[in-house]
Amino acid sequence: MKNCFCYNIAERRSFDLFRVCLLFMMRRSASASKKRGQTNSTNPIPYSPSDLFRSASSKASSKEMERIDNQFYFYANRSSGMIDPEGIETLCSDMEVDHTDVRILMLAWKMKAERQGYFTLEEWRRGLKALRADTVSKLKKALPELEKEVRRPSNFEDFYSYSFCYCLTEEKQKSIDIESICQLLDLVLGSLFRAQVDYFIEYLKIQSDYKVINLDQWMGFFRFCNEINFPDLCNYNPDLAWPLILDNFVEWMQAKQS
Amino acid sequence: MGGSLYQRIEKECEEHISAALRSLVGQSPDLVVFLSLVEKCWQDLCDQMLMIRGIALFLDRTYVKQNSNVRSLWDMGLQLFRKHLSLAPEVEHKTVTGLLRMIESERLGEAVDRTLLNHLLKMFTALGIYSESFEKPFLECTSEFYAAEGMKYMQQSDVPDYLKHVEMRLHEENERCFLYLDAITRKPLIATAERQLLESHIPAILDKGFMTLMDGHRIEDLQRMYSLFSRASLDSVLEESFSKNEAFCNTIKDSFEHLINLRQNRPAELIAKFLDEKLRAGNKGISEEELEGTLDKVLVLFRFIQGKDVFEAFYKKDLAKRLLLGKSASIDAEKSMISKLKTECGSQFTNKLEGMFKDIELSKEINESFKQSSQARMKLPSGIEMSVHVLTTGYWPTYPPMDVRLPHELNVYQDIFKEFYLSKYSGRRLMWQNSLGHCVLKADFPKGKKELAVSLFQTVVLMLFNDAQKLSFLDIKDSTGIEDKELRRTLQSLACGKVRVLQKFPKGRDVEDDDSFIFNEGFTAPLYRIKVNAIQMKETVEENTSTTERVFQDRQYQVDAAIVRIMKTRKVLSHTLLITELFQQLKFPIKPADLKKRIESLIDREYLERDKNNPQIYNYLA
Repeated sequence: MKNCFCYNIAERRSFDLFRVCLLFMMRRSASASKKRGQTNSTNPIPYSPSDLFRSASSKASSKEMERIDNQFYFYANRSSGMIDPEGIETLCSDMEVDHTDVRILMLAWKMKAERQGYFTLEEWRRGLKALRADTVSKLKKALPELEKEVRRPSNFEDFYSYSFCYCLTEEKQKSIDIESICQLLDLVLGSLFRAQVDYFIEYLKIQSDYKVINLDQWMGFFRFCNEINFPDLCNYNPDLAWPLILDNFVEWMQAKQS
Repeated sequence: MGGSLYQRIEKECEEHISAALRSLVGQSPDLVVFLSLVEKCWQDLCDQMLMIRGIALFLDRTYVKQNSNVRSLWDMGLQLFRKHLSLAPEVEHKTVTGLLRMIESERLGEAVDRTLLNHLLKMFTALGIYSESFEKPFLECTSEFYAAEGMKYMQQSDVPDYLKHVEMRLHEENERCFLYLDAITRKPLIATAERQLLESHIPAILDKGFMTLMDGHRIEDLQRMYSLFSRASLDSVLEESFSKNEAFCNTIKDSFEHLINLRQNRPAELIAKFLDEKLRAGNKGISEEELEGTLDKVLVLFRFIQGKDVFEAFYKKDLAKRLLLGKSASIDAEKSMISKLKTECGSQFTNKLEGMFKDIELSKEINESFKQSSQARMKLPSGIEMSVHVLTTGYWPTYPPMDVRLPHELNVYQDIFKEFYLSKYSGRRLMWQNSLGHCVLKADFPKGKKELAVSLFQTVVLMLFNDAQKLSFLDIKDSTGIEDKELRRTLQSLACGKVRVLQKFPKGRDVEDDDSFIFNEGFTAPLYRIKVNAIQMKETVEENTSTTERVFQDRQYQVDAAIVRIMKTRKVLSHTLLITELFQQLKFPIKPADLKKRIESLIDREYLERDKNNPQIYNYLA
């Protein structure tokens, strides 16, 4: 079964710990040498790309950034330099949140993560900085607030559209298969529009006109949930510009109801 | 004196009339008997008033005339009767009920006393209460009666019988108006009956029976349907010239058009096929006049087809075959049909068809000069006659490319012609359409020489047997390169039909993979020249479906092009306005849902987008 976060459960590798220690020691020595070589506190001599970034950012304290980065490297894959599905799994387990939980998707949104199942350093920094979390425990504590923020009407549409795009894994991919869409709908809209989502998912599984859903149809459904009375559907007008799949859905609903 | 006499007469009459009417109250439970009593009462009144008037004539002519507010004696009698009738409402009511009951019985087949009805209804009219007291409840009753009957009969009988019944009923009601009902009732009565028996059942009638009647050429029944329907509700355009028509029925514009197009593209296809049969050679005994007449009748139906592009595709396909295989019965008839279509649909519709004729004419000239050309005279072996139809792509239907490995000689001949043609028309590209080619082969059978008229594919197969006695299906397939299905058809036509130039082993109708073929040594036939290429004229199911599909595909392109064109001009347009524009521009039937599909496809391909602020609006994306 394919879920939104398409990666396999992997065992934590034992050398993770070793890797972290190694990195930690490297950082320590680097910052020590930095302290020694420093002549001007406002112009530190940059000796790694991450330090360039650090010097450019003005708001976060360097301690905070350091902790954020440490957290990143704790979960990141050594060779790719990114947090991969495995790492996310670990992160989720540490936060005691299921990796299929919608809050992880919300976290990805906050980070503006581009690739499903992966977090880059930049994305990680962006997200954690915005959430003011420099440790995993703080991150966990920030989740309820994040959820509230996402559910605000001004943000939710953006989150809704983001969640679709986040699932486009192949390069030129523009649509998502029905099975994945059903899961995504349930995850993202289920709590808000239970009835609409349940019926629409049922319909999607029976119909044969469409094998994939594109962004236009995805957004159309959101508008549908917000604007159309359910389940009486009295204010739905198929002569308007609703996507055809919704016209068909409404027809199916009305046939069921009569 | 006149006044007091008048008053005394009035008083006497009133006493008498009121007593007479009162005596009717409670009389006879049997309605018919009651009605007779009422009739007698009325009759008596009339007789008596006439007598009184006769006696007091002088009074009528002087006193009454001199006093405008005084009624004539006759009118006075009527008025008194009316007054006391209204004072005894149960009498009036019972009378009306009785009358309605009688009429219902008559409708149900019983014989009733029509004279009684006649007199009583005249009474109502004379009393001035006909419309209110009788006609209104009568029409309601009629409505209920025929509503129930209509439903019952629709379920029980088939459409032709139902229509016969309706016709009978309407006739009956009409008669009723002559026999006892007042003339003013005719119109509303017929309208009521028609409404209940016909109008409410039109969809069901058309649904159930129309196609059966059409398919069975039930002219009389269709005529009945037409005449009933046209009276009932729709504009009746009486087409006298078709009212006794043999081949095609009368048309009821709206419902007919609806119906004919319900079956999607089938009518278009069938009409084209009908025309093909008529225009093909081999129609014995049809005079030119008759053919013209038939063509005109076809045009009547043609007017109702909505998807005329489907008709054009099929007509073109069939016309091409007729022209290329020389199967037209008469070029004049062909041209006459084209000009009829041109008048009907405009020149754009027939441009390509006319182009086809031009190509045929031109090809004749080209062939003439080819014969005289140096290439032909020097390179073409004597005894080989070759003629080529040069077709302008775009006028003719598109033929799927059919590869075939021609025998060497045929390749040479094709090249010779090509050289000649390109010397005359440089810069053109010739593509050989092998599926349309046909040849006459000279065959040496032990039992006699023959000439075989064969298709090019048949030729290619047969010529293999110049060098081999026996060949397997797979051998033939390899050597000729003919596509599998086509090859099987070709071999079937040579070895399994009436004319067996080849023999197949093992015997059987269908060509299987491990069959083999040998040259039929023992072949005989009565004629010298034998046609074996009849299969070229036949159409395959695949051909038909692909023709229709191509039309629908073409429509899709047209819709897309129209959407892009409109959006490019308008830049920003609402959904409803776009749909309206499209319906105005597109000349074939299309559903709004299909238009939505194309719009969504164009959104997907990023030709347009939904406006971010208003999802009802589309923006053109340059």
